[in-house]
Amino acid sequence: MRTGHYKETYGELIALSDSNVVWSWVAALGVFVVILPFLVGNYTLSLAISILIAIVGAIGLNLLTGTTGLISIGQSGFLAIGAYANALLATDYGWPVWASLPAAGIVAGAISLLVGIPSLRLKGLYLAITTLAFSFIVNYVILYAEPITHGPNGIFLNDTKVFGLDLSTDRGLYYFVLGVTVLVTLASLNILRSRIGRAWLAIRDHDIAARVMGIDLVRYKLLAFAVSSFFVGIAGGLMSLQIRFINIDVFGFLLSIEALAIIILGGFGSIAGTIMGAVFLTLLPEAIRISLGLFVDPGSSAYTKYVYEIRGIAYGIVIVVFLRFKPDGLIGLWRDVRKYFANWPLAY
Amino acid sequence: MKQTLRMTLLALGAALVLPGMAAAEPGVTDTEIRIGDVNIMTGPASFIGQAVAVGSKVAAAEINAAGGINGRKIVIKTEDDGYVPSRSFQALKKLLEVDDIFALNGTSGTANVLAMMPLITKANLPTVVTTAPNELVYTPVRPSVFTIGASYEASFYAQLKYIHENLAPKGAVYGLIRQDDDFGVAVENGYARAIKEFGLKDGIRLRYKKGQADFAAEAVQMKAAGVQVLANGAIIAQAANVLKETRKLGMDLQVADVWSEIMPPSAKLLVPAGYSYLIGDYISSMSDPAAVKFMAKAKPYMTDADVAAVNRYTFITYAGLKVLAKAMEACGKDLTRACTVDNLRKIKNFDTEGLTAPVSFDNERQLGGTAIKVYQINLADQTFKTLTDYKEY
Repeated sequence: MRTGHYKETYGELIALSDSNVVWSWVAALGVFVVILPFLVGNYTLSLAISILIAIVGAIGLNLLTGTTGLISIGQSGFLAIGAYANALLATDYGWPVWASLPAAGIVAGAISLLVGIPSLRLKGLYLAITTLAFSFIVNYVILYAEPITHGPNGIFLNDTKVFGLDLSTDRGLYYFVLGVTVLVTLASLNILRSRIGRAWLAIRDHDIAARVMGIDLVRYKLLAFAVSSFFVGIAGGLMSLQIRFINIDVFGFLLSIEALAIIILGGFGSIAGTIMGAVFLTLLPEAIRISLGLFVDPGSSAYTKYVYEIRGIAYGIVIVVFLRFKPDGLIGLWRDVRKYFANWPLAY
Repeated sequence: MKQTLRMTLLALGAALVLPGMAAAEPGVTDTEIRIGDVNIMTGPASFIGQAVAVGSKVAAAEINAAGGINGRKIVIKTEDDGYVPSRSFQALKKLLEVDDIFALNGTSGTANVLAMMPLITKANLPTVVTTAPNELVYTPVRPSVFTIGASYEASFYAQLKYIHENLAPKGAVYGLIRQDDDFGVAVENGYARAIKEFGLKDGIRLRYKKGQADFAAEAVQMKAAGVQVLANGAIIAQAANVLKETRKLGMDLQVADVWSEIMPPSAKLLVPAGYSYLIGDYISSMSDPAAVKFMAKAKPYMTDADVAAVNRYTFITYAGLKVLAKAMEACGKDLTRACTVDNLRKIKNFDTEGLTAPVSFDNERQLGGTAIKVYQINLADQTFKTLTDYKEY
């Protein structure tokens, strides 16, 4: 059991972890995710890809909402911007993926300033409604700017390769998305432990006090919008690479709610919690399907008649019950488990 | 000696490889063929998916009762996509990778089938699209995708033609209200075609956002434009709300509607407005003799809940699986996707027992059953009177 940490250099202070045990587990996780395609079939791999894309998008939202305290329910709009930017650059202008994907993030980040600037004085529900309105505006623009966006017809993406990986195969796409997810996770972990991250936390905790302490609210709030939307735009671009067809129907309002649910379930402000929340929420429908199949006779008429409604209701109930008994989210649960075993066999 | 050794090794290699090749066709065993459905089983549009599921179930049951397809029984595997395209993609992924389907019959909405298209194309999956006959689905044509159904453009053109020739006063003003998506574009194309061909007065064209519920402003605009014939491109509850608002303003209209309003739940919503609206559909109505015959034949295979769920989507999915079965049967015991696709291309004048016009896929777009009947609702009993027989528009 560790009792204290004595750090002698600044590098040690800002290291992601000073524990060899933690790094060992991270290495084990790294090995697992690298060999995963050789252990599972294509369907499980496509679920893994969906999880990774959800992680990227939710990390983006977490930086804005969990860390800076700016509520946003317009994530579907930024996802759409990123997806359309990536698809248009790749199909209409022939950009390679290694260029179109970051460009998608940059476009989403730049457009986020259109929301950020008018929203500087807004908080809470008012900001939430503003971001929601923005997502509706994005839908309209995509539908009506047909010469640029193909309007309601949508865009098909061609098969493509990047860094030797064939993105039309599950394995190739998985490794590419995994690489992007690792980069996004490391970037956000490092942003959070920098002065920018500390400024965001200060704004979340008390924006007036932060201002009094000399934190430029305009600059840091706009930065939060831009960085968050950059990551969400990347997630949108990855979605377009996975599905390979996008139109406005793919980016419904429900995506914004699911993104919020991920960061709430995972634990506000925590990157690890966001990752856990993304895994939990993406796999929950599958877990419910498998559980129902184990305990209910799939051949019974009640099952075939009501199975889809049961799954939908079970999905909602699990989330509500979890939040009722563990409002800190999955990261809170993890911390409790870790503390329990750290203190075991003592209670505290 | 060397020659013998070489021949032995070749024979061993063939013995290892060939059985694997013979068993490689997904979704087919000695006793069954697995057919996939990606349906809207939950959410506001679940009445479509429930009806599709009944159509597949009845067709499969009939085929199996007659001995199956060359001795193999059809097994239907259904996944729900909730009308969300990204879920359609995952649903088909599961059907392909986990449930190991041979072909696809139910395909949900237009955006949903387009989201599945890369997977369909990659797997050369024989697919019959019956619930989303949008031009985007068959243009460009995908080798293994076969579509049954007329376009919304043709449906509205047919209705407006009938109204112009039989119902509307001379010099009547026409108006359009449509959704702002690909479906709405198709509706407007049909309207524009009629306006141009018959030299009609184009009073107003309105667009609304999907999900909009209040059409009071749109009704006022239509009244101000003097609209006497309305191409109502709204659907179900929205279509009812449009007509409710125009009735409030005392507008006396001839109405052309989307074929979804032929379904009993939709008709129930629209009837209170008091308009004897028209429908142009490539599928028979519930009052049609073909539908009555279907219900009698299908009764042994349906529960009470199934009977209540039956609507036009049941008929067209039933027809779709029957066409697919015919193509599979022609392959004999050696059933493969490639053979099924080849046989689907040869389908000509397939008789769907009056549920649609005879279906032929032997054309460039692999598109069949495009002929349309025009119906008019009888407000008293909410049945539909046939005004014209199946005709190409």
